[in-house]
Amino acid sequence: MASAGPSGGSVTELASRLYDACLSKFPIDHLFYQQDLLGLEILPKSDLALLLQCTQSLVDQKLFRLLQGKNDRLAWKIIPREDAEKLQNLSPDESLVYNVIHSTGRSGIWVRAIVNRTNLHKSILDRCLKSLEGKNYIKSVHNVKFPSRKMYMLAGLAPSEDVTGGAWFTDGVLDENFINVVSGFIEFTVSRKSWHEVPASNRSRNKRLKTMDGSVNVKKESAQKEYLPYPAGYKGYPTVPMLTTAVNQSGITPVRLGEESVTQLLEMLCYDNKLVSLNNGELYKSVKNPEDVKARQARKPDEDPSATDDRLVRNGMTEVPCGQCPVFNLCVPGGAVSPENCEYFETWIHEKSPLTF
Amino acid sequence: MASQYAAELCMLLVEDNFGELFGRIFSTLHRYERLTLQRLVGFTRLSETRVRAALVAMIQHHLVYHYTPLDEAVTYYSANMQAAYHLARSGKILEHVEDRLGEYAATVMSTIMYLGHAQVSHLDTLPELRSKASKANGVHEEEGNLEGGENGANRTNGEHAPQHSALLHPTLKALAGHGYIVRVREAHFQSYADNVLDIERVIRAGDSVQNMKGKKLEEYVTEKTVDMLRERLDGDLTRGLVINGVPRGVKRRHANGVSEDLENKRARFDYDDAGGEDEENEWFDDEIPMESSLTVRVNYEKLDVALRNRRFLELAERDAPPETAQVYDYLLRRIEYQTTKCRDSAEIPREGEEGEQYSVSIPLNALSQDIDPYLDLAGSLGPTDTSPANARLGKRPFDHTINGDHDHDHDHDHDHDHDHDNTNTNTNNRAYEIDQHLSLLAHAPFNLSSKRLNGGIITWTVEFRHLARKLRHLELERIIESRYGDVALRVIRVLQAKGKLDEKRLQEISLLPFKDLRQVLASMQTGGFVDLQEVPRDAQRQPSRTIFLWYYDPDRIRDSILQDTYKGMSRCLQRLRFERGRLKEFLEKTERSDVKGNEERYLSEGELERLREWRAKESLLIGEVARLDDMVAVMRDY
Repeated sequence: MASAGPSGGSVTELASRLYDACLSKFPIDHLFYQQDLLGLEILPKSDLALLLQCTQSLVDQKLFRLLQGKNDRLAWKIIPREDAEKLQNLSPDESLVYNVIHSTGRSGIWVRAIVNRTNLHKSILDRCLKSLEGKNYIKSVHNVKFPSRKMYMLAGLAPSEDVTGGAWFTDGVLDENFINVVSGFIEFTVSRKSWHEVPASNRSRNKRLKTMDGSVNVKKESAQKEYLPYPAGYKGYPTVPMLTTAVNQSGITPVRLGEESVTQLLEMLCYDNKLVSLNNGELYKSVKNPEDVKARQARKPDEDPSATDDRLVRNGMTEVPCGQCPVFNLCVPGGAVSPENCEYFETWIHEKSPLTF
Repeated sequence: MASQYAAELCMLLVEDNFGELFGRIFSTLHRYERLTLQRLVGFTRLSETRVRAALVAMIQHHLVYHYTPLDEAVTYYSANMQAAYHLARSGKILEHVEDRLGEYAATVMSTIMYLGHAQVSHLDTLPELRSKASKANGVHEEEGNLEGGENGANRTNGEHAPQHSALLHPTLKALAGHGYIVRVREAHFQSYADNVLDIERVIRAGDSVQNMKGKKLEEYVTEKTVDMLRERLDGDLTRGLVINGVPRGVKRRHANGVSEDLENKRARFDYDDAGGEDEENEWFDDEIPMESSLTVRVNYEKLDVALRNRRFLELAERDAPPETAQVYDYLLRRIEYQTTKCRDSAEIPREGEEGEQYSVSIPLNALSQDIDPYLDLAGSLGPTDTSPANARLGKRPFDHTINGDHDHDHDHDHDHDHDHDNTNTNTNNRAYEIDQHLSLLAHAPFNLSSKRLNGGIITWTVEFRHLARKLRHLELERIIESRYGDVALRVIRVLQAKGKLDEKRLQEISLLPFKDLRQVLASMQTGGFVDLQEVPRDAQRQPSRTIFLWYYDPDRIRDSILQDTYKGMSRCLQRLRFERGRLKEFLEKTERSDVKGNEERYLSEGELERLREWRAKESLLIGEVARLDDMVAVMRDY
C-alpha cells in the first residue's frame, strides 16, 4: 500500500522476482530474515525501504507470511502459489481465522482460543469456520485429552500424537481390539525368541541349530515341545526396533507403528507381567514360553473355568467364601449374617468336599 | 496382633485345641489385659482351683505370660497372643520337619508341641516316642494319637530304652542343629514388655550407670537392654552342632552321599525317612546324648524362616526350570541354617521405608559340594550365544566366572545327551553351571538371588526384604485379580510403579478405554484398594479446577486384608464347629473308645459313608485355615 507512485510497477516486478528466487534457492519452510532476502541480490543497493515495499506487496498477495522471528526481528515464510490463491479468495475475517489455525500446526486449536486471539464475535467466527470447513481448508479434530473441546486444524495436516493419543487411538477412542491383537502378536514374538526350543529327539540336529539362532521359527504345531530358558546375560532377546519391524511386517496393522507406540505397548505388557524388560527396556523377555502363550490366547474366547490356570495361583482368601462375600463386614457369630447360617459356606462345602477325596 | 478379629481367632484356636476352660481364661485375659489371680477368678466366674490348674497348664503351653514384680508379692497374668496363633501353624511346621528330617523327627516335634515345652529326660520316658523308634520307617500314624502323652510319663520300659535313645537323641540333636527347637529360658515366660522393664530396672540400679545422666544414660540403657534381652531370651542350641554353617548330621550325610551309588540320586538331600536309619545310627554313634535336664520348646521364629524359604522356592518353581529351582533349594537351605529370624524389626516396615537386608552369603564352591552330582545342570538351560557363528568372535558376556574359556561347543554337545562324565571330572565346570542357574534367578523376572564378590570369591545371597515384599504384593495381587479381574491388576501395577497418577496419564500407560478404566477404579475404590487424592489448583477447591490423583497404598491394604484374613480363619473354624454340632451325636459315637480305631467293625455302611463325608468336610475347612495362615504369615511374619 505504501508502494504508490512511479516505482509501483517495478516493486511488483521486483517482488515477484524475489519470490521466485526464494522459492528456488530455499526449502519451502525456510524462515527468511532481512539478511536472507538481501543476500539474494535482487534488490539494488540493499535498499531497505524497497525491501519493505516488496515484502509488503508479497504479504498482501498472500505469497509471504509475516512472522516474528527470534529477538523480535521480522521474518517471512513463503507460501506456495496454489495456497496463496486459496487465501486470496478469503474474506479478511476468514483469512485471519485461517492464519490463526495455521499457526498452531498439527496440534490444532480450540475454538475458544481462536476467539481470544482474533477478537472476532462468536457468530462471525462460526460463519468463518463454517465457510472454511466447507471449502475444505480446515477440519475439526477430536482431542483425546479434551474430548469435549471443539478443535480445528488445517485440512492437509495429520493430527499430532498429543491430539490423537498415539497409534492406539482410532477417532479419539482407544482401540481395544487393535491393542489386543498387536499385544498378542508381540507377546508371542517375544516369547519365541526368549526360550530355547529343545528339539524332540527324533528331529535332526541341523534343524535344532537352525531354530537356535532364532531366524527359523518352527511352524509345526507339535504338542510336546520343550522349552528351556536362556542363561543370564543372553543377548538374543528382541529389542524395540526388532519388534517394531516385526509388527509392521506382519500386516496386522493398517498404519505403520512407530517405536514409541510399540514401546508403550511393551510397557503395558510388562505391567501385565507377560513380559519383562532387561537392561532398562533395551531387551524384552517373555515370562511364558510360546506354547503357554499360544494356549492362553487360544483359550480366551471360550472362557472355560480351567482358564484360571494361567492367572496368579490362588490363595486362601480367594478360595474361602469369605473372600468373595458381599456381606463379609456384617458377619458376626450369632448375628443376622453369621458363619452358622452362611449360605456361601453351605454351597462351598458341598462343591469342594467330594473333590478332596 | 491385638485386633478384634485376631483376638477372636486366637480364642477359637485355644478353645479348639484345649477346650472351653482355657478358652474362657484366655479371652478374659485378652479382654482385661493383665490380671491378678483374684481378679481373673472374679471375671471368669470359675472356681479358684480350676483357674489355678488351668493357668499352670497354660503357662506350660506358653499361652499365658506371668510376671511377679520384685517389690509386690502379686503375680500378674496376661495372654500370649502369638503363641495362641502359632497353634494354627503347627500342622505346617510338622509337615516341614517331616519333609526335612523324616517322620520320626516330626513325631518328636509334635510331642514337644503337644507338651508346650518338655525336658529331655521326660521325652526319654515317653512310650510313643519309643514305640515309634522301633517302626520309624513304618506306617503313617495320625497326629491325634498323641493323646497318650501325659499318662505315658509314669511308665518306664527298660527293654526298648537303648534303641530308643539311639534315635531320640540324634533326632533331638538334629532338630536343635537346625534350630527348630530351643532351650526354654526363664524370660520366655514373661512378656516382652515385662522383660524390657525388668532389665531396664536392673541396669538403672547397677553401678555402672550411677555417674551417667540425661541423654547419655538413656542411650546406655537402650543399648544395654538390647544386649541383655538377647542374652536372657537366647535359647540357641545350635552351638557345637553346626559346622561351617551346616548342621552336623547333614554334613556327614552329604559326604556319604557323594561317595555312594545311585541310591542317593533318588533320595532327598538330608535325612530321608527311607534308608536313613542305619546311617543316622552310624553317624551319631560317637556322640554324647542330649543333656537330660535340658528343657526344649519349638522355635517358631526359626520355623518361620524355613517356611518363608519354602515360599521363595515356590516362586522359583513357578516359572524356572525344575533344575534351577533345585539349585535354589540348596542355596536357601544353606541360608536357612544361618538365619535365625525373618527380620530384625518387630513390625513390618512401611513400603519404601525398609532397607535391604541380605541373607548370609553362601560361597559358590560350598554349594557345588552340596548339590546332587546327578542333577542335570547343563541340559536345562539354553545356549548363551545368539547364533553359533557370532559366539566364536567375542567373549561371552557372562564369562567372568571361574571358567572363562568354557567352550560353547561343549555346551551344545551336552545339552541333550545326558552324559555326565565331564561334569563329574570337572568341578570348575560344575561351579560354572551352578552359577549360571543362580544368575538366571538373579535376573528378571525372578530376582530371587543376588551375586556378591567377596574378596574374589563368588558368593550368593538372597534379598530377604525385597522377596518378602514380593510375596506380599503377590498375595494382594491375587486377591485383586480374583475380585476385579486382570484389568485391575494392570492398573494396580501401574500405580505401584508410578505412584500417584491422574486418570489421563493412567490411561496412557495402561492403554485401557476410559469406560473400563473408570469402572474398575470405582469398584476398587469401593473395595478400598485404590484411593483418590484431590489437589485443588486454587483456594476455592472447585471440582473443575482440581487435579484428582489415583493411588494405591499397599501398606494400608495389607493391614485391612490381614484383618479380613483373621476373620476368614475364624469363620472357617466357627463353621467347622457348627458342622460338628450338627453331627454331634453321630460323632460322639465314632469317638467312643471302643469304636475309635475299629470303625469298620462297629459302624454300618451308611455311617461309614457319613464319617468319610465328615472327614472330608473337616479337612477342607482345616486345610483352608492353613491356607489362610499362609497369607497371614506373608503379611505379618515374613
